[in-house]
Amino acid sequence: MTVSEQTMPKAAPRPSRLRRLWEGISIIFASKVAVVGLIIVLFWVFAAIFAPLLTPYTPTEQDYVAQNEGPSGAHPLGTDDLGRDIWSRLIYGARVVLVILPIGEDFWIPGGTAIWGVILGLLVGSTLGLMGGYLGGWVDEVVMRLLDAMMAFPVILLYMIIIAAVGASATNVVLAIAIVGTPGIARLVRSLALDIRTRDYIRAAELRGENPWYIMFVEILPNARGPIMIDAMLRVGYAIFAMGTLGFLGLGLPPPSPDWGSMVAKGRQYILSGSPWAALWPSVAIASLVVGLNLFADGLREESLRYQ
Amino acid sequence: MAKFIVRRLLLMLLTMVIVSIAVFVITEAAPGNVARNVLGIHITPEQEASFLAQTGLDKPMPERYLSWLVGTDWRAASKVGMPVRQITTEDGFKEWWAVEEDGTLIQWKLEGEDLIARRRQPDGSVEETVDNGRWRVKDPTVEMERLEAYRAQLLENTQLTEVDRQAILQQLDRTLEILRGEDQTQADLLAALAEPEGALEEMIDPEASRKKDALQEAADDLFKKDELLQAIAVYQELTETPAGDLKTSDFQSMSRRVKKAADKLEGVNPTLANQLLEASESLKAEDIPAAKETLSSAAEALSDLTGAVGDFADTLQARDYQGAAAALRNLSDPAKTPLDTARLAIMPDQFKKIRKTLKDASPEMSEEVKQAYESLEAGNTEAARGAFARAADFLDETAQSIARSDAASQARVARTFWGVDTQNHAVRWEKGTGKIVWQLIPGSGWMAFTGGPAEYIPLQKGLLRGDPGVSLRTGRPVADLLFTRLRNSLVLAGIAFVIVMPLALVLGLIAGLNEGKPLDRALSIGGMMFSVTPEFATGIFLILIFAFWLKLVPGATVFGEKAPWERPDMLILPVLTLTLIELGYVLRITRASMVDVMKAPYIRTAFLKGLPYWRVVFKHAVRNALMAPITVIMLHVNWLLGGIVVVEVIFGYPGLGSYLLESALFKDFNAIEGGAIILVAVAVGTQLLADIVYTFLNPRIRYA
Repeated sequence: MTVSEQTMPKAAPRPSRLRRLWEGISIIFASKVAVVGLIIVLFWVFAAIFAPLLTPYTPTEQDYVAQNEGPSGAHPLGTDDLGRDIWSRLIYGARVVLVILPIGEDFWIPGGTAIWGVILGLLVGSTLGLMGGYLGGWVDEVVMRLLDAMMAFPVILLYMIIIAAVGASATNVVLAIAIVGTPGIARLVRSLALDIRTRDYIRAAELRGENPWYIMFVEILPNARGPIMIDAMLRVGYAIFAMGTLGFLGLGLPPPSPDWGSMVAKGRQYILSGSPWAALWPSVAIASLVVGLNLFADGLREESLRYQ
Repeated sequence: MAKFIVRRLLLMLLTMVIVSIAVFVITEAAPGNVARNVLGIHITPEQEASFLAQTGLDKPMPERYLSWLVGTDWRAASKVGMPVRQITTEDGFKEWWAVEEDGTLIQWKLEGEDLIARRRQPDGSVEETVDNGRWRVKDPTVEMERLEAYRAQLLENTQLTEVDRQAILQQLDRTLEILRGEDQTQADLLAALAEPEGALEEMIDPEASRKKDALQEAADDLFKKDELLQAIAVYQELTETPAGDLKTSDFQSMSRRVKKAADKLEGVNPTLANQLLEASESLKAEDIPAAKETLSSAAEALSDLTGAVGDFADTLQARDYQGAAAALRNLSDPAKTPLDTARLAIMPDQFKKIRKTLKDASPEMSEEVKQAYESLEAGNTEAARGAFARAADFLDETAQSIARSDAASQARVARTFWGVDTQNHAVRWEKGTGKIVWQLIPGSGWMAFTGGPAEYIPLQKGLLRGDPGVSLRTGRPVADLLFTRLRNSLVLAGIAFVIVMPLALVLGLIAGLNEGKPLDRALSIGGMMFSVTPEFATGIFLILIFAFWLKLVPGATVFGEKAPWERPDMLILPVLTLTLIELGYVLRITRASMVDVMKAPYIRTAFLKGLPYWRVVFKHAVRNALMAPITVIMLHVNWLLGGIVVVEVIFGYPGLGSYLLESALFKDFNAIEGGAIILVAVAVGTQLLADIVYTFLNPRIRYA
């Protein structure tokens, strides 16, 4: 193989970092679908970050004289069965999903519950995928069998058993999302690694005598980031979906924390007695956020495919 | 091909075994407490231990896994010494019986200290006879150890009078003497033991256990019916139960209980009443920290207010009758219990509630208590104090008789017997150890029995023989409900499938043919929106539109005893929800596949040959374009199962998914495990099917 001829073509000077960044961002604006998705997502991120400024109420504050009311001046989206303001519960709920991960009673870390679920899944999944794809051999065999067994497990059953076993809390929801997401991420990373490990720069690193872990995480992983990032964006969508479903099934964050899924589950009981608002708004919220994320990821993928 | 299928089947079996172990380990290793879910959060440790023993949950995990898999009847048969068999009665109940040599079905039960044999007649009726001949003396060396340890206890038993103690010790020593003899047959032992045991028998008050039960019941009544003690109990529950274990219904009941205490105190102590009211509201909002804070100061004031009455209830419940008598004396002493207005307002009610139950324990005492609260109501505290003192004396008397009976009955040599009881256990009964067990009596809840079974083997056939055990939640066999629920789910999924498939494939093909045109954009973006919206949100939208605003169809499913297809109107919304979600997914895959195929060289060739457009599409493209979606759909079953669970919950549809969820929240092990196995079998089975279908469709794989 003629390495020297191939690797160093006389390329035009590399554009500056800022310019490359702008080119990346401009892809988004090329797709109307992506722009619409981005606007919806940004709306929720904004509402989540500035939640305390956007409502005079706290999410657990009760108004005993205004229970199950429709939208009004005092409560823009109405109130739930305990007289809590739905708008404030929605935006504080968005916080838990997108911006903070409550760990203890007064302790939280930045990065939403859904986000952390995906990050944890990415960590474990990429490690497994890289090991399977790059090391190959019996490691690959074991990893693949493990992933197959995990995939054979109905997702919902896994959620129910994990949460029923460890109890409902934000950290456990993160855990459940990560466990369920891991096999898919690992498969994707494995297939990317299988492809990338045949490249010349990997051969070069091997000849340099690099440690296999260095090759996996420093040579292969950064070169696979594009598809992984688009996949991760879709996975944040799944994770929000999963969080909502868990909450709805009574397996999400424990009350009285504002959780979209459990808000729907509780509001549902009052629909047929004439107060649909408490179930409607959180459903709208979760549907819009998930659809927004998917529109964004879809538009991005389509545009990036077009430029390839 | 055959080899391929066999290998896949074996792999599937292996997956199922791994899954069953995994489900077993995860659910069992979980914290939380199934006994508490079944019996409520008020159970005592003794009740919990009895429950765990009777359900077999106290055994180590590997043993339980084996029992669950292959059953316990063979093990039980060797203990009982007769084969055991499961029969189905005319009412459809499954019962376990032992089989005698002549083929008669036999069970046993314990009445007082008599063993009663119940023989089932051919016509289904049961004939009962006393069957004390089957009692065996427990292993003499073991009994000797127990009695010697008991002798030491007896010397320290403060509840006994000295006279009683000496009398019992005398007989106990004679018994020990007899047991020390070597090489004795059962008959020898029984004959020799007759005399000392007869003497002990005479010391036993046959009414003692009834009196004990009555006192226990009085304590329970006081706790259950007294609003103030209830409020204190709520505080204890709140601090002792992990927050995750409390359900909304628990909070509601706690809130109600605290509210009642607040109402009670309204005229007596307004500040305390307000505090309680506030706590009740926080409980309703499930705001634990706020409730804890308000309740902690309120509980202190409350326990000060209830004072000696609370002590009385506590000691009675702990079976410390002397302590209870002391608490009553406390009430009679002005220095210890000042009878201020608040107490005067509360106390008469408290004692009124237990007078009736006390009557069973000691009529004289009950009479004095009555006099006491009547005097209190009349404002005559002097007379009340006197009555309390006399009630305490009577309580002491009762306590002595109970203590004597207990001590004497435990000094006897224990008898034991392995048999089958009436609640589908193989059990080892033990007579004379005074062990208390709690049993679930249908219709009257959990009751305490003295001299109950000491060891249980819950009888079951095991999963491999088609019996996934008994549901802890309902007490009925899991299999009964599981299959009805599975059928309901299949009906729902089947209808949705029949609607989704043709529709999605056709729409997908149309979108694929029009790639990039507005029709395609609309179909694929619309399909994506439906498929990524969580099922519960879609379901809520549909309920709001069709059931709430348009009032066209019912928004929930209530079938009762009926099968789902008997109420098709209730199926519309659940099926529609599932359809919308699956539609988008299948549509997008079909579209992508169609787009790919239409770009393939052989299609271009066909066009270039001059074949008409529709002929190319139908004869050349569609067949190939459908291959991918059909197999992918099979693999999608996993997701579909999740959707079904949620849809079932939204509409209250009685399917397998909602059954599993209820069981998982309840920690109903047998039901979760049985349901999980079915779910996994469905998921793995369809994947196997997808593989096989794919190999048939794609010859390249078949010959690879």
